[in-house]
Amino acid sequence: MRRCPDCRLAVEGEWARCPLCTAPLTGESAPSPLPAVPLRFTRRRVLRVLTLTSLAVIGLSFLAQLLFDADRESIGALRSIWLGVVATWLVVLVAAGKRRNLAKFVVYLVALAGGVCVYWDYLTGWDAWSLTYVVPILCASSLVGLMITVRVIRMPVGDHVVYTGLTVLLGLTPLVFLALGWVGTAIPSALCGALSLVVLAALLTMRGGAVRHELATRLHL
Amino acid sequence: MRPAGHRRHWVRLDNASNIFLAAHSEVDTKVFRLGAELDHEVDPALLQEALEATLERFPLYRAVLRRGVFWYYLQESDLRPVVVPETEHPCAPIYQADRRTLLFRVVHHRRRVGLEVFHALSDGTGALWFLTALLDAYVRRRFPAADQPPPAPERPDPAPEEAVHTLTTDSFVQHFRRRTRRAGRAGAPRETDHEEFLREAAPAVLTVERAPAAPPGQAPHRPAPSPPGRSAPEPTGRDAAAPPRRVHRVRGTRTPDHRPRVLELSMPVAPVLALAREEGVAMSMYLTAVLFEALRRTGAGGRAAPTLAASVPVNLRQFFPSSSARNFFATLTVAHTYGAGDDALGAVARRLQEDFRAGAAPAALAQRVRRLLRLERAPLARIVPRPLKDLLLGQINRANNRGLTVALSNLGRVTLPEPAASHVGRMQFQVSAARPQFCAISHAGHLTITFTSPFVETDHVREFARLLTAEGVEVTLAASRTTEAELAAVGR
Repeated sequence: MRRCPDCRLAVEGEWARCPLCTAPLTGESAPSPLPAVPLRFTRRRVLRVLTLTSLAVIGLSFLAQLLFDADRESIGALRSIWLGVVATWLVVLVAAGKRRNLAKFVVYLVALAGGVCVYWDYLTGWDAWSLTYVVPILCASSLVGLMITVRVIRMPVGDHVVYTGLTVLLGLTPLVFLALGWVGTAIPSALCGALSLVVLAALLTMRGGAVRHELATRLHL
Repeated sequence: MRPAGHRRHWVRLDNASNIFLAAHSEVDTKVFRLGAELDHEVDPALLQEALEATLERFPLYRAVLRRGVFWYYLQESDLRPVVVPETEHPCAPIYQADRRTLLFRVVHHRRRVGLEVFHALSDGTGALWFLTALLDAYVRRRFPAADQPPPAPERPDPAPEEAVHTLTTDSFVQHFRRRTRRAGRAGAPRETDHEEFLREAAPAVLTVERAPAAPPGQAPHRPAPSPPGRSAPEPTGRDAAAPPRRVHRVRGTRTPDHRPRVLELSMPVAPVLALAREEGVAMSMYLTAVLFEALRRTGAGGRAAPTLAASVPVNLRQFFPSSSARNFFATLTVAHTYGAGDDALGAVARRLQEDFRAGAAPAALAQRVRRLLRLERAPLARIVPRPLKDLLLGQINRANNRGLTVALSNLGRVTLPEPAASHVGRMQFQVSAARPQFCAISHAGHLTITFTSPFVETDHVREFARLLTAEGVEVTLAASRTTEAELAAVGR
């Protein structure tokens, strides 16, 4: 084992100089009991900065729309392209962030995409196309998509039951819009509401225990 | 695989563990490592077998950490741990939100076996139980012999019989007796996996609460000559000795990729013990005083902030019997102000010891446990959503850090069961560090003091080592390569 004459200690490993005082070591080297682990820089920080910057750009893009008039024809096509791009970008970000839990992603997708469309509708002068068509279709199709997904990837009941429940709750909101008379055509909302009720009934009768267990686990005080 | 429709058991994290989740970061991963150096190159296949056998007996270690709306919780899993060669730096992150992974890893390098644990799962003592069982199982496989003694009980340090008798009858006593009976008799009925998980995963404070084990004054108390603490946690509250207002804090250059700077000093334990005895103090406090002196020599404790403060964890199991492998400790802060009295090493050590004794009295500790439980049960604390709790606890942790110069933790003398004891030499103990700190552990007459720091500077360790070698202690240094320059010089 090598020795440091200044610190008067033995040094394990192939050090030419004392790791403590940098004085040259004397004697034969002995193998180090510790591995030399190469430096490793993760991309996590870069990704975090990119994500936050993206979210800021998306948020500002949505806000900037308020500056343009609803009936200004000149902005119409440009606005649609702009909102389409940032909305897609937002969905991609969420999909990347929640890639480890598809059920959770579906809930985020419905809430975010629905919200964006309602805002879009508001910006373009409120024809209620978002509440009449987009939200019910989005909710119903994501519910169907979720049912298929959890079967295909064989997700355990406990892992998706809460998110399925949340998707069902979102799917029931078109019924509220219908009751309040906010929608033009009743059929999409009615179909979406009916589908959600069916899934809710099935969930409570077939998976009632799992639902209660998961809620107790996640909401425990 | 578990049958379809099976509901996984879960248990909430206790208050003490929650702070690790609020405080963990890339720099301070809240991971600690326990290691053992064997007398031969480790056989990974046998180690894997031993790990699987050990896991059977520690269902808690199968748990994954999940996030609820108000609290984190541990949930049982079917994940299977795999021993890996050491390719990552020590105390690399283990817990990542949204990824359901086990909260520990077992690594090997040459003759060493390392167990790394995320602190929210277990404390130093709990992890030592696991490592002991793992080493026992491994050595039995590596050196099969006909005349081996029977396997060690799960908990290597059952409370002495008289401690059990002082407890009034309650579930904790039953629980404890069932364990000893089971350990002693192979044919005893086995609990189901689920009962075992729930029992194992019960937070230590709760097992104590069920046992009125600590009527102040008559608790099974021994005056902690060397506190077999656990790895250094962030203190969760204020301490017996009110800390001074301004405390010196070590600053330095961060390591290039957030890995801790690890410097391991190993030495025979006898001369160090003799030095401590000479000053009439416990070894922990003697080493703390040496560290303070080392920091003073490197320029700390100058005119600006002459006070040095160290956080020292105390293992509560020595006062309040608990067989839970979960976190069960309290942290005390000991401090010394230079330039306000006798600054000789011995005098400083004695002052620190007085501080420590006052804080580590069973009555004071019992009060802490009760306060901890009260805090956790406070209605307001319950209904605050978890992300907000993390934020608040993170702030509390940061505020506490401002009152600390260093942290240290001494797991004390480890006694491994035969035949493991005769094949294991030095043992290692280290934790991820938000500030310079050291961890001590001794086995087979070897004392290993591992310094970890988020900074590349090694001055305080140099002075620490020189203080010991000047007293004639034979010190051996093992240093991990940390900076780019050091790594570039491998083999040169």
